Amino acid sequence: MDSTKKKKLGQYSAHIVLIVASFFFLIPFLWMVSTSLKPLTQIFTFPPEWIPEPVMWSNYIDSMTYIPFFTYLKNTIIITVLSTLGAVISCPLVAYSFAKLRWPGRNILFIITIGVMMIPGQVTMIPLFLLFEKLGMVGTHYPLIIPAFFGVPFYIFLLRQFFMGLPDSLREAARMDGAGEFRIYWQIMLPLAKPAVLAVGLFQFMASWTDFIGPLLYLTDSLQYTLSLGLQQFQSQRGSEWGLMMAVSTMMTLPIIVLFFFLQKTFIRGITFSGIK
Amino acid sequence: MNGNAQKLDPIKSSETPYEKQLKLVPKKKKSKWSNYKYGILFASPWILGLLIFYAIPLFSSIYFSFTTYSILQPGEFVGLQNYKDLLSDSLFWKSVYNTVYFAVFFVPLSIIFGVALAMMLNMKVKGMAIYRTIFFLPTLVPHVALAVLWMWLLNPGFGLVNGVLNTFGIEGPAWLGSVTWSKPSLIIMSLWGIGQAVIIYLAGLGDIPEDYYDAAKVDGANWYQKMRHITLPLLTPVIFFNLVMGIIAAFQQFTLPYTLTQGQGTPANSLTFYVMYLYDNGFKFFKMGYASAMAWILFVIIMALTALVFITSKRWVHYQGK
Amino acid sequence: MSKGKKKMKFELFIFVFILSMLLAGCSSGSGSSGSGDGQTTVTFWHSLTDTTGDAAEAVIKAFEEQNPDIKIKAVYTANQGEGQNEKLLTAVSGGNPPDVAYFDRFEIGSWADQGSLEDLTELAEESGITKDTYYPFAWEEASYDGKLYGMPISTDSRLVYFNIDHFKEVGLDPNNPPETIAELEDAAEKLTIKDGKRFERIGFIPWFGQGWLYGWGWAFGGEFYDPETKTVTANDPKIVEALQWMTDFAQKYDVEDIAGFTDSQGDGAMDPFLTNQLSMKVSGPWEVSAIEKFNPDLNYGVFPMPTPNGENHTTWSGGWSVVIPKGAENKEAAWEFMKFFSGEEGQKIFSEIARDFSVIDSVNEELGYTEDPILGEFVKILPVSNNRPVMTQGSLYWNELASAVENATRGNGTPEELLENVTEKVNKELNK
Repeated sequence: MDSTKKKKLGQYSAHIVLIVASFFFLIPFLWMVSTSLKPLTQIFTFPPEWIPEPVMWSNYIDSMTYIPFFTYLKNTIIITVLSTLGAVISCPLVAYSFAKLRWPGRNILFIITIGVMMIPGQVTMIPLFLLFEKLGMVGTHYPLIIPAFFGVPFYIFLLRQFFMGLPDSLREAARMDGAGEFRIYWQIMLPLAKPAVLAVGLFQFMASWTDFIGPLLYLTDSLQYTLSLGLQQFQSQRGSEWGLMMAVSTMMTLPIIVLFFFLQKTFIRGITFSGIK
Repeated sequence: MNGNAQKLDPIKSSETPYEKQLKLVPKKKKSKWSNYKYGILFASPWILGLLIFYAIPLFSSIYFSFTTYSILQPGEFVGLQNYKDLLSDSLFWKSVYNTVYFAVFFVPLSIIFGVALAMMLNMKVKGMAIYRTIFFLPTLVPHVALAVLWMWLLNPGFGLVNGVLNTFGIEGPAWLGSVTWSKPSLIIMSLWGIGQAVIIYLAGLGDIPEDYYDAAKVDGANWYQKMRHITLPLLTPVIFFNLVMGIIAAFQQFTLPYTLTQGQGTPANSLTFYVMYLYDNGFKFFKMGYASAMAWILFVIIMALTALVFITSKRWVHYQGK
Repeated sequence: MSKGKKKMKFELFIFVFILSMLLAGCSSGSGSSGSGDGQTTVTFWHSLTDTTGDAAEAVIKAFEEQNPDIKIKAVYTANQGEGQNEKLLTAVSGGNPPDVAYFDRFEIGSWADQGSLEDLTELAEESGITKDTYYPFAWEEASYDGKLYGMPISTDSRLVYFNIDHFKEVGLDPNNPPETIAELEDAAEKLTIKDGKRFERIGFIPWFGQGWLYGWGWAFGGEFYDPETKTVTANDPKIVEALQWMTDFAQKYDVEDIAGFTDSQGDGAMDPFLTNQLSMKVSGPWEVSAIEKFNPDLNYGVFPMPTPNGENHTTWSGGWSVVIPKGAENKEAAWEFMKFFSGEEGQKIFSEIARDFSVIDSVNEELGYTEDPILGEFVKILPVSNNRPVMTQGSLYWNELASAVENATRGNGTPEELLENVTEKVNKELNK
């Protein structure tokens, strides 16, 4: 009786802390949405106004005709979906090998994997571009998709950490039952690492979805362009179209918010090994 | 480095069954391959990826660092000249200072805040899905928009932040306009966008078996004891990951300060970070050779720090798998 | 049974892998470069958006009507930040650049020096195009080492904008804006309203907006470059004087207090002039469009950047050009297009829609820019305008001068020693 009361009190105080903190984290997003609904004359006023007056729903419609929104959206979806698929297929496989399988050169290769992240992309950008040029892939979506299928060091490292945390006893038990390595990976280890794999999928989705420099360098026809390149088209020296730009930004964030909202549940479920054993 | 990574080897505990197998199978050589086969097979996409997409660019950039390569012209071989010139380049040192300053404060703070936020977002409270989504939102706002918003909030005379401070009788600093406060401002801004690290912590928290907490409950452990003896130790593999990636990211800090200062690193180069200066050299001043030399110096710095983290990690990183 | 099923699953996984690779292929149908029936396709990369984008489209349409055998394929390529053209840089290094690129004239010197632009001198001579058609600074900025590398397209200039209502409020005559530096200081002081340490309004910030040292250095009568010796002369006593004046200004108003304003250059974003918090500001003609957009009620005027003695007003101009990058496929067709774009007809179409000044004086007159009370002032000063020196280290010089202003106004070194350092550093690079 007393403990339930205590629990309730704990719940309330948790809510209060969370709501106060949420407020701070909401500011940038609210500002973006509010700007997306403002007429241009209201965007830079002092003191700043948070409530648009009048509410310019038309910004959303106008922004879709200002740039070829649906063409860009289609391209963005193709690139994002395929590269995400690539990352979630290849990275766990490689990470599992780094964490749980034994082979010569593994540790050196792991160090190299972390090492390649330490060289800023700005200096490898040109040689990589020349490589894709030689492969005849400049001007196609390939350079933005294919590398993900071969693994991304950040995700490999991340997933390796998660696989390291899974007990070896699980593998041994499965082996005793005569399961092959592929089956152990596919049936036992991969499902256990699901939260991390989904996180990787989300990260790759976001990275591809908002990537600017990749599409900028590799795409040579505006029919192939992505939304993040479209976002730049709202900028100009004579006063950017802030309202329209934020409208597109807001629309661009929606799929990620929805995706996150549904994915986040998987992070909460604590795994219980006892159930598997 | 090598020996140390060996110590991270998780397989150790599983060595017995392997050895047993080896003894059972007569042809040793063949069995070795059959043991290794899967490891190499599983890693093969990445081995190929490294060879195709990383090897050539990385080796070319090492070569470029010894030349006056300008992207548009191959340039001449100048030996160590670029490295020598860097040592006497005052803006280079300034950018090193700025970057180290940022990393020293940002990396630890991001871990403390990240873990704290993740724990908060891992409570069993109704509507948690919404809270989690809210905390993730700042990472979704485009940088251009973030830059404008922050200049607005932190404007010394009219900004919201100083306005609030003023009501408490505190006179706020000039934030982004001040040489002293520009870097702290950037650190605060960056902390706002740690949503990605929080997700990783959340996934890590999700990996901690409920059984441990149940057992602790039976023993009558309080909240603090549970955190201290179960949550934190079992979160260390993920903290370790975020520490290493945090160091790498902090040293490569680029987009936000570049957008914020339109590439100028204002005020008075106090926001000129290492990769910003590297970028200017490579793409504005036609000194890609010089920029490549900078990249490899950066590599050495980050590698040294990461090695340090790896060496100490065996003392504080606990893998459940062991 | 279950084992077989799992195996199927793994095969499915491989299948999906391959399928997605194939899908990636289908999605990436690359555009064809050549087309049949004897038409030449000229690819044209530009960063034009908004009205300038519409203007370019109109120019292309007019050109294609007159030249049915040439097709222009215009591709928008975002310019990230200021002037740097990563996309063009990578494309040229990859040996597959566009035929024509819209290009910041400021960078012609360094790109030409790198051997990455086609020499247009002969083509221009054959077509009878001479420098007399254009503003002198525009032609000069498009040439390097006596050779022509770009055809100028647009230009701008810099003046001081002022808020007429603020002038009236403090008893300044808006019909008689400051002409000398002393008068400017006086006006700035009157216009500034300070409440304790917080500014309610600031009269003027010399380095804000387009208040680069180039503008003030020339206003004070300095010279930034010696074409004879091919060295920079940032330590010119007149330039030192200009920076000293900026530094004194900074000290008087306490630079940290007003610094918040200077963090938000360009783009119309957070422009304190638009929100009535700043009474005077150095800016270019594009500000007119920004004001129209964000604060159409603003009552403002412009005057030339004051000089110490109130005479010899000057300014500086940048602007854009079209170039043929090295390695372009269809040079001849490209040249036809460039000739049209930079010729009187193309200029008229472009300038009228884009509201960008033409590089041909008569076109600006014809389009009525000279009649406009605001824009007219910008055009009027063009004949005496300066261009930033055409040199291989233009970007470095620019950055170094900007840092010198930052450091001087914050008391990190005296103007003299800072500019001495700039001169030394840039000349060292020039001599390499």
